[in-house]
Amino acid sequence: MNLMYKINKIMRNSLLILGLIILFNSNASAQSYNTLWIPDTLTGTNFNLTIKDTFAQIVNTGNQTITGGINNKFWGPTLFINQGQTVHMNVTNNLNDSTTIHWHGMHLPAVMDGGPHQVIPPGTLWQPYWNVTNKAGTYWYHPHLHEMTLEHVTKGIGGFIIVRDAEESALNLPRKYGVDDIPIVLTSRRYDANNQFVTQATTYGDYMLTNGTPDAAVSLPKQWVRLRILNAEIERGYNLGFSDNRTFYIISNDGGLLNAPVAVTRVKLMVGERIEILVNLSNDLVGTSLNLKAYNSGQTFGFPGGEPASAGQFGSLLNNVDFNVLHINVAATTANPVTSLPATLANNSYWTANDATVSRSITITNGNAGGPAFNFDNQSFQLNYINKTVNLNTIEKWTVTNNNIFGHTFHIHDVQFKIVDRNGNANGVGNYESGWKDVMYVPKGESVSFVAKFDDYADAIHPFMYHCHFSNHEDDGMMGQFVVTDINSVNEISKEEIPITLFPNPAHDKLFVEFKNQAQSAYYVSIKDFLGRTKLMLPQPYLKDGIDISSLSKGVYTISITEKGSKQVVTKTFIVN
Amino acid sequence: MKSAITISVCLLLIVVFGSFNLTLEKRVDNFTLRNVNGKNVSTQDYKDAKGFIVIFTCNHCPFAKLYTNRFNELNTKYSNLNVPLIAINSMDTLMYEEETFELMQLKAKKEKFNFPYLQDLTQAVGKLFEAQHTPMAFVIWKENNEWIIKYKGAVDDNGAHPKLANSYISKAVDELLNGKPVSNSETESFGCAIFYRK
Repeated sequence: MNLMYKINKIMRNSLLILGLIILFNSNASAQSYNTLWIPDTLTGTNFNLTIKDTFAQIVNTGNQTITGGINNKFWGPTLFINQGQTVHMNVTNNLNDSTTIHWHGMHLPAVMDGGPHQVIPPGTLWQPYWNVTNKAGTYWYHPHLHEMTLEHVTKGIGGFIIVRDAEESALNLPRKYGVDDIPIVLTSRRYDANNQFVTQATTYGDYMLTNGTPDAAVSLPKQWVRLRILNAEIERGYNLGFSDNRTFYIISNDGGLLNAPVAVTRVKLMVGERIEILVNLSNDLVGTSLNLKAYNSGQTFGFPGGEPASAGQFGSLLNNVDFNVLHINVAATTANPVTSLPATLANNSYWTANDATVSRSITITNGNAGGPAFNFDNQSFQLNYINKTVNLNTIEKWTVTNNNIFGHTFHIHDVQFKIVDRNGNANGVGNYESGWKDVMYVPKGESVSFVAKFDDYADAIHPFMYHCHFSNHEDDGMMGQFVVTDINSVNEISKEEIPITLFPNPAHDKLFVEFKNQAQSAYYVSIKDFLGRTKLMLPQPYLKDGIDISSLSKGVYTISITEKGSKQVVTKTFIVN
Repeated sequence: MKSAITISVCLLLIVVFGSFNLTLEKRVDNFTLRNVNGKNVSTQDYKDAKGFIVIFTCNHCPFAKLYTNRFNELNTKYSNLNVPLIAINSMDTLMYEEETFELMQLKAKKEKFNFPYLQDLTQAVGKLFEAQHTPMAFVIWKENNEWIIKYKGAVDDNGAHPKLANSYISKAVDELLNGKPVSNSETESFGCAIFYRK
């Protein structure tokens, strides 16, 4: 009897899955679209970001999907920040789990970077800040908790950062956000029979989600428009182009504007990469439409998403096929449209291979069935092992060699780099990737070199990461870490007591911390309640204005202060009344 | 050859389903936990209970929050039929401050819970049931003076739209009250993960 019930259940579930497939297919064949969701914006220098468990009606019918969002049900707000300003992030983790938020592409101190070491426990406020030195461009933020990145990214946690600067602002470029300047985040998801995201034994999604919108469509004005496109997939690459094969123009790579627009009809955008493109819709008739598509069929093996299987761990309904990523309806021209393409964009001076005084080689290893997971130089990531030490202000050339079985994307924190050769050939670097980059595609059978300068932020303790940006690979250990050290600095190793005064105690809204020795300062401050729950994480806080403790309820707390020079930790108790 | 493969697959299915069945129909002991009114509640207090609807839920999970009215309705309907609803919070209060007993009390009062809302401070009951998410529902039934898990999984199939939802719980309890086996004895639960302290 029980067996019959089980078989019935299996059959019912199978029918449900079949129903879902028919539903999605019928949607596609009927050409019905959903309006592209445009993330909200936050501006200024103080940003409140709350990461939370939530849910969303992503599949048209049936149950809601458990998602994660930042101030939202899926994805997060777009942060507009200006070069030269100091931005303060108030990141509250209301997830049911610890996580981190990494500011992808930003040049900032390692202790603010949001890598796997800056774990934010549930219920904790993390307050990093930094002076924005990046060039105008499209950056992003996303979770980076080791072994949990895939799960948290799949939930939808992340967001865009758009940096403005004087050079970009002086150009006549589309920049009406959501009108002629559109952020587009490319992802896909696989759903189970209950509409939940599948994260186990799954590399690719089966259904496109553009800005979290299935079958997305957007109305764009009949003029030049700018698309800021981010590949936020787990592994899938996108060979992007328009359905009428029109020429479009790449104006920006990961780290800012190119020197001049680059005309293309197709461009590969791999995981973690961003491009900004300009598309001319001024010759299109209002009411007509076109599609931005992934021309992913017929890619050579090694292209992520080119595998032939349509199901299973490495299969997908979107594998090795061409598919829509965005349906575009041409609408009326706006007031003050951009009517032409700038001939030149920026005046970048790039490092060359000859500028590098240090060369490093990294080899992609393992990843064979039954063996160790993909890693670098046969070494998987260890949280307490520093793989490389870089001297402050050096210009280095890193070469990543992939004689392995599959393509990967390589991302390095802290710096923007210039790709200087592919397979040793400087001419092998595409014009489409000729700008500042923080992610580069390393196809199967290639070695790719970049040059970067490691300036500004020395920290012998806190490391930056380099890793494959496929979050499943990164979770499995295809990651290393490096510290940037200043050989000219004196590393104080002192066992003497660090005299610190804490006042007032009891405190209410503000708590002041004063070092008796004015040469000393705080490297890190954390505050825990009497049960040991972390409430505040403050990297390199300004202490002169006091610590804002208004979010703390009445009770007894401990404050741990790590002194910057000696890295000694002083712990004291205080009361909030 | 084909028939040999078919027989092998059938045997495998039988073995798999057999083990599933053993897992699902496991016995759970009586348990006693503190209710939000400060008094202990035990399964043994319900002398006439034929079974219980046991819901693992919590204070902060957005998906679990959708279900309060449904829990009240289920308890109203089935406690009269001697199948009362008991809600249990097994979240780690050290990790999640929002799950403290005081906040459980506030929630139960504010949302007018008509059922016990018990704190599983040591997480022992959550471990006993192997509860994975909030919300996650179980139906336990008295057989030979023992509590047997007859259903585990989701409460229903639509969190945000109760009117569109098919209640797995109601169906399971109705079948058991009619002396029938539960036709859909296990579904996928999802919501916020319950993390257990080691």
